[in-house]
Amino acid sequence: MSAHNRGTELDLSWISKIQVNHPAVLRRAEQIQARRTVKKEWQAAWLLKAVTFIDLTTLSGDDTSSNIQRLCYKAKYPIREDLLKALNMHDKGITTAAVCVYPARVCDAVKALKAAGCNIPVASVAAGFPAGQTHLKTRLEEIRLAVEDGATEIDVVINRSLVLTGQWEALYDEIRQFRKACGEAHLKTILATGELGTLTNVYKASMIAMMAGSDFIKTSTGKETVNATFPVAIVMLRAIRDFFWKTGNKIYHHVTGRYAAYHDLPMS
Amino acid sequence: MAATRAGPRAREIFTSLEYGPVPESHACALAWLDTQDRCLGHYVNGKWLKPEHRNSVPCQDPITENLASCLQAQAEDVAAAVEAARMAFKGWSAHPGVVRAQHLTRLAEVIQKHQRLLWTLESLVTGRAVREVRDGDVQLAQQLLHYHAIQASTQEEALAGWEPMGVIGLILPPTFSFLEMMWRICPALAVGCTVVALVPPASPAPLLLAQLAGELGPFPGILNVLSGPASLVPILASQPGIRKVAFCGAPEEGRALRRSLAGECAELGLALGTESLLLLTDTADVDSAVEGVVDAAWSDRGPGGLRLLIQESVWDEAMRRLQERMGRLRSGRGLDGAVDMGARGAAACDLVQRFVREAQSQGAQVFQAGDVPSERPFYPPTLVSNLPPASPCAQVEVPWPVVVASPFRTAKEALLVANGTPRGGSASVWSERLGQALELGYGLQVGTVWINAHGLRDPSVPTGGCKESGCSWHGGPDGLYEYLRPSGTPARLSCLSKNLNYDTFGLAVPSTLPAGPEIGPSPAPPYGLFVGGRFQAPGARSSRPIRDSSGNLHGYVAEGGAKDIRGAVEAAHQAFPGWAGQSPGARAALLWALAAALERRKSTLASRLERQGAELKAAEAEVELSARRLRAWGARVQAQGHTLQVAGLRGPVLRLREPLGVLAVVCPDEWPLLAFVSLLAPALAYGNTVVMVPSAACPLLALEVCQDMATVFPAGLANVVTGDRDHLTRCLALHQDVQAMWYFGSAQGSQFVEWASAGNLKPVWASRGCPRAWDQEAEGAGPELGLRVARTKALWLPMGD
Repeated sequence: MSAHNRGTELDLSWISKIQVNHPAVLRRAEQIQARRTVKKEWQAAWLLKAVTFIDLTTLSGDDTSSNIQRLCYKAKYPIREDLLKALNMHDKGITTAAVCVYPARVCDAVKALKAAGCNIPVASVAAGFPAGQTHLKTRLEEIRLAVEDGATEIDVVINRSLVLTGQWEALYDEIRQFRKACGEAHLKTILATGELGTLTNVYKASMIAMMAGSDFIKTSTGKETVNATFPVAIVMLRAIRDFFWKTGNKIYHHVTGRYAAYHDLPMS
Repeated sequence: MAATRAGPRAREIFTSLEYGPVPESHACALAWLDTQDRCLGHYVNGKWLKPEHRNSVPCQDPITENLASCLQAQAEDVAAAVEAARMAFKGWSAHPGVVRAQHLTRLAEVIQKHQRLLWTLESLVTGRAVREVRDGDVQLAQQLLHYHAIQASTQEEALAGWEPMGVIGLILPPTFSFLEMMWRICPALAVGCTVVALVPPASPAPLLLAQLAGELGPFPGILNVLSGPASLVPILASQPGIRKVAFCGAPEEGRALRRSLAGECAELGLALGTESLLLLTDTADVDSAVEGVVDAAWSDRGPGGLRLLIQESVWDEAMRRLQERMGRLRSGRGLDGAVDMGARGAAACDLVQRFVREAQSQGAQVFQAGDVPSERPFYPPTLVSNLPPASPCAQVEVPWPVVVASPFRTAKEALLVANGTPRGGSASVWSERLGQALELGYGLQVGTVWINAHGLRDPSVPTGGCKESGCSWHGGPDGLYEYLRPSGTPARLSCLSKNLNYDTFGLAVPSTLPAGPEIGPSPAPPYGLFVGGRFQAPGARSSRPIRDSSGNLHGYVAEGGAKDIRGAVEAAHQAFPGWAGQSPGARAALLWALAAALERRKSTLASRLERQGAELKAAEAEVELSARRLRAWGARVQAQGHTLQVAGLRGPVLRLREPLGVLAVVCPDEWPLLAFVSLLAPALAYGNTVVMVPSAACPLLALEVCQDMATVFPAGLANVVTGDRDHLTRCLALHQDVQAMWYFGSAQGSQFVEWASAGNLKPVWASRGCPRAWDQEAEGAGPELGLRVARTKALWLPMGD
């Protein structure tokens, strides 16, 4: 993983002029799904690549150390060995990108991964997940505790009310504080795009989150009614590209959802 | 097993994340060609026609694999096809619309069942990306058939008063021949016409379609397809059985055809050129607009190149995004499922190479990018900028796959630049400000405008153009009227006079000498040409005598000439923006005021008509009817244009009826008052300004009306020029800044007007010497006038936030 995004000073001119045309983005989203296909070994290689980008996640009330352990094992061996051998990919060390759990289960995950002998990062949701409707002080404390427990990636949710009311400075300051609380851990900012109202808001929130120093921006918590959709992903990726052009920093993009089959994947 | 073989490759792909070939099997297309023994003939009257002793040309895919040979039609094949269509027309048009609707629906079902064959064949031969043909063209073809089946089934009620024209000759371009054919045969067949289509050699998809239609059974001859060279176009067009020629292709060919068809029996509908336009303003979603550019030029969706106008303040940003996007485009074989654009064969490649070379030599910057095979006939997406506005390349049509970008400063300037080209096909406007988007959308002189989208299409939305893009329409109600004529009107006959000399027709004005003192009624009618709201002395400073029905000298009217026509057209142009900007209600109010003025002047007008030999009663009736016409058109124009709802699109599509511009009208000799008013009223009601040449026999009545127009109308709305009819007709028909012309007069004059209109391709309506019953509602104020007096524009307004 690359170095941290240091973020930049808040520059509202980066978001003041932006326009996102909803129907045009919807059309683009339709197109992008139908325009090019990958088949055969290309499909296999692309899918394997996708596996290495997965944050394998369990965020349930009934998580215990045993199912965390199973999850960690799955993270280490996401694909059956014989299949990888057939593709001649068994020595590529294909694992998922991270394991993602609630803060209280971080210790279990760290232990299980150590036992499995691998250095897959443990991600923890924090900061009042999933609604973000708790006091800032407790949210910051939550982050610090998760980092202390050994989480190296922190998923925070932004305060949607700040976006909906256009308080960009406040949003910037808040994420700045999350950034600080994370210390050396990566900050993954969840925008909860299903609750932001418009695609223009999605773009603006993405930009603010990146300016404030997020290493990842993420579509959603998986707990809203609408999670990752293609149009939203397009807008966030456009924001990431614009941020890269302005600062030279590459930010990662994350889509969230429950995908039962390959064909449900937004990438497929 | 496959996975094992794939092993070593997968490792590399895992790192590079490249795309691989996704070849679509074209075995079924080859198998179909095999059924024809790899030799394609013509499909006429439900049978394959493979005459002997014909030249043949090879049918290749763009990567130059020889697929089959195509026989070239000759004149007798054309005659046979037209005869077959003529015989089929009798049965086909006599059936009720419901029967035709069923047949079209069955054809749609057949296409659905054999769509794989259609899309692989079309993509194989044209080289377009198979995804566009499969998901775009073939689906649209079925939608077109379904839409027009519905129109056919309601024809008896919805289109009462109209009847099918007859056999339609359809001439198709080498690219997009299948889709262009569907857009035109569907309305033609729906209303009861039959079709003979001439496709360029080596386009098998239309032949396959004809075969599918022919094998449906009971109506074999309704769709006949010939393949042959461009030299057959005039032969097909001048076949006596052909009632209308629908031509799509290059502007110069269309112009030549317009000239060669002057005076011939067939009507002509032109759809010319392929270039499109995209306006990118500084309030646009630039990334989405860049996708619009890709849709327009680099995705095999549109046939031609794109002219791109970018507001100066976002120029750098837009260019950067555009160039970045171009770098990600993939080109390759059309039948590959992972390419964005295919290759279109050697001819298209030559054309674009020549254009780019010339643009470079004229000082333009050329940017090319994309993952494109380096060999011919592949050509990379190309962005041309900094082309000096006056250079020749800036004037000619932009070829596929080139985008020519130029900056503009304000929306007003964008309109000036965009409307400054002779083309009027389609355009898109990208702006998030509603007011600005509508201002541009309404102001652009084109047939189709998309707001924040590009290249959307639907069977129910009329698509067409204006200016040199030709003024024929397909889709929607306008597409149906292309193949209909008012019932009961006499069939259009050829009025071709071989010895008409276009160079000298109406060139010289026979000199007129004083013929004695005037013995007309007093007060004498005003003397002069009514130009710019007042009576002016003619440039030639001479007059022509007007005699009454018994041959006595009635008076003198001014002898107008070329200079006066020029002045009148200028005055009309000056008045046009103000008049077109008025609401229909305001225009109606002025027409009603003129009607009232006519009624006040009734006794004078009636006595003038009496001197022309009319009975007093009839004369009074003519004046009353004239006033009624003015009121009727004023009322009728209130209910114009409507909103369409399109499947799959949120938001409306507005079908607007816009004025043509400056309309030149040469009035018939008969009905000196009624015909004049019947033509004037719709023209003004729809927002046009007019230059009129009144009845040559009795222009005095028109001049009487001018006295009222001088007081009622703003200056320049209606200009009336008296003088030698042929001479004035010549001046108007050759005028490049007259947007449309109606001619009611001799056959020779009609032929000349049709020939001369090829200059700026103005739509013309010529009577060809046939008299019209102006006092009848159908002919004097029928829907045909309403159709011809304005042009349609489709304005797409997608919505969402």
